[in-house]
Amino acid sequence: MDMAIELENICRSFKNHFWQNKKQVLKDVSLEIYKGEIFGFLGPNGAGKTTTIKIITGLIRPDSGSIEIFGHPANALKVKKRIGFLPESPYFYEHLTGYEFLKISALLSNQKNYKSGILGLLEKVGLKHAVRLQLRKYSRGMLQRIGIAQALVAEPELLILDEPLTGLDPIGRKEIKDIILEQKAKGNTVFFSSHILPDAEAVCDRIGIIIDGQIIKVGELNKLLRKGLKTDEISLEDWFVKQIKRNE
Amino acid sequence: MNRIWAIIENTFKESLRQKILLLLVIFSILLIVVSIFLEPFALGEAPRILRDFSLAVSALFGVLVVIIIGSTLIHKDIEKRTIYTVITKPVRRSEIIIGKFLGLLLLIIILVCSMAVIQQLVIFFYEGSFDFSLLIAIPFLILEIMILLGILLLFSSFSSPALSAMMGIIFFIIGHASPDLKLFADQVKIPAMKYLAYGFYYIMPNLENFNLRIDLVHKLPLYPDQLLFSICYGLIYTIFLVYLAIIIFEKREFK
Ligand SMILES: Nc1ncnc2c1ncn2[C@@H]1O[C@H](COP(=O)(O)OP(=O)(O)OP(=O)(O)O)[C@@H](O)[C@H]1O
Ligand SMILES: [Mg+2]
Repeated sequence: MDMAIELENICRSFKNHFWQNKKQVLKDVSLEIYKGEIFGFLGPNGAGKTTTIKIITGLIRPDSGSIEIFGHPANALKVKKRIGFLPESPYFYEHLTGYEFLKISALLSNQKNYKSGILGLLEKVGLKHAVRLQLRKYSRGMLQRIGIAQALVAEPELLILDEPLTGLDPIGRKEIKDIILEQKAKGNTVFFSSHILPDAEAVCDRIGIIIDGQIIKVGELNKLLRKGLKTDEISLEDWFVKQIKRNE
Repeated sequence: MNRIWAIIENTFKESLRQKILLLLVIFSILLIVVSIFLEPFALGEAPRILRDFSLAVSALFGVLVVIIIGSTLIHKDIEKRTIYTVITKPVRRSEIIIGKFLGLLLLIIILVCSMAVIQQLVIFFYEGSFDFSLLIAIPFLILEIMILLGILLLFSSFSSPALSAMMGIIFFIIGHASPDLKLFADQVKIPAMKYLAYGFYYIMPNLENFNLRIDLVHKLPLYPDQLLFSICYGLIYTIFLVYLAIIIFEKREFK
């Protein structure tokens, strides 16, 4: 199967202050994301999800290990053209309107005829009423929606979303999940992080679980569940908690 | 090109929105206009004082704007994490630096030119005719501002706004003291001091090259080859600084 993302033995540590010892945040992380699948990247707070995603998107570099996207080095311009990215709790230029922000995003992604595309996107993410509203007047959920829209602006083959569902109301969550599924239907790949298992359950083909910087499970969701559910009828959440506890 | 233009436009608009800018504009215009009322105290020196004063005010205005806005140009994007959605687009990091450079430069050029218009109006009001010979000061002021902006971008590509602003001020002061520095280097006897002074003299930009105020106010002749040298000097120095800023910014992580 063709790979969309391939992480091999990624390690990364951070230093909070220069007199402190380094803290290893990613410990030998290896992951393979197949083309055309929806992959849920799960883990508790501070597990290293965002750090992994920052490495995939080239915002930071790994201390060691290699990363390839569509078989190319991750920071190549031609690779970036094929990626849409939503950062965690995103911040955007506050003085821009929703339309202006998407216009800049489109221009930065080499889109020439962006106008109709942008308006369509704004409608799709439910922001049609806020086209001319400045982003600083957007609510938390509206920011999340415009963030999804800017990630989709260049019709990427690979969508990387860091906690796309936080800050959204139930309708919003449903809408974003629909967008994720729609991407898959188009043959695109979606990689998203979450700490909420039912979210993943609704849309994912496969999930990976990261705890304390280590990948502890990767696989098809129903297969993983079957193992956990074999002994007794625990809920998904319980199973998740159990997996985490076992690793502490 | 579209990508750089998008960044230029955004930087321009963002900088234009800063409140401090409005304050500086109003203050500078007031200063230039007020210089009219200095006449009674000028004892026949009024035309000179008027020219000297208004040229100095627009220069100071340009320098203050570039230091205040230029020092936060990159940092604000990183601090507010707006950079994440920009840098992950298919954009070169060099395009971001160049776009920011040109965006703020464009704004300052427009502002400095507006100052010149006001200056001309004040002179017209006072003397009944314009003095277009002063306009030649503008391109040289802009060259000086380009160098300072290069320095600010260079330091903000890896350090804080405060440090960048401080370096901008230091370069501005030493850059204008350049002739004195040379004089000092020529005359000082202690070898270590001498080399240090020469070192500084050659590394720091000589901003006095771009200062035509005295020549213009006293209507001294300007030498084309000297002006041409200053233009080349300013451009090369700026390109060098921006290039360094790009190299450092390429290596930077966004944690
Ligand atoms: N820039 C940084 N400097 C120092 N430590 C950091 C930095 N970024 C992350 N860390 C540490 O790395 C660990 C993993 O952080 P990360 O943001 O990747 O977690 P996460 O899985 O995304 O968590 P959450 O679900 O809360 O978003 C945390 O312990 C965090 O303190
Ligand atoms: Mg996170």
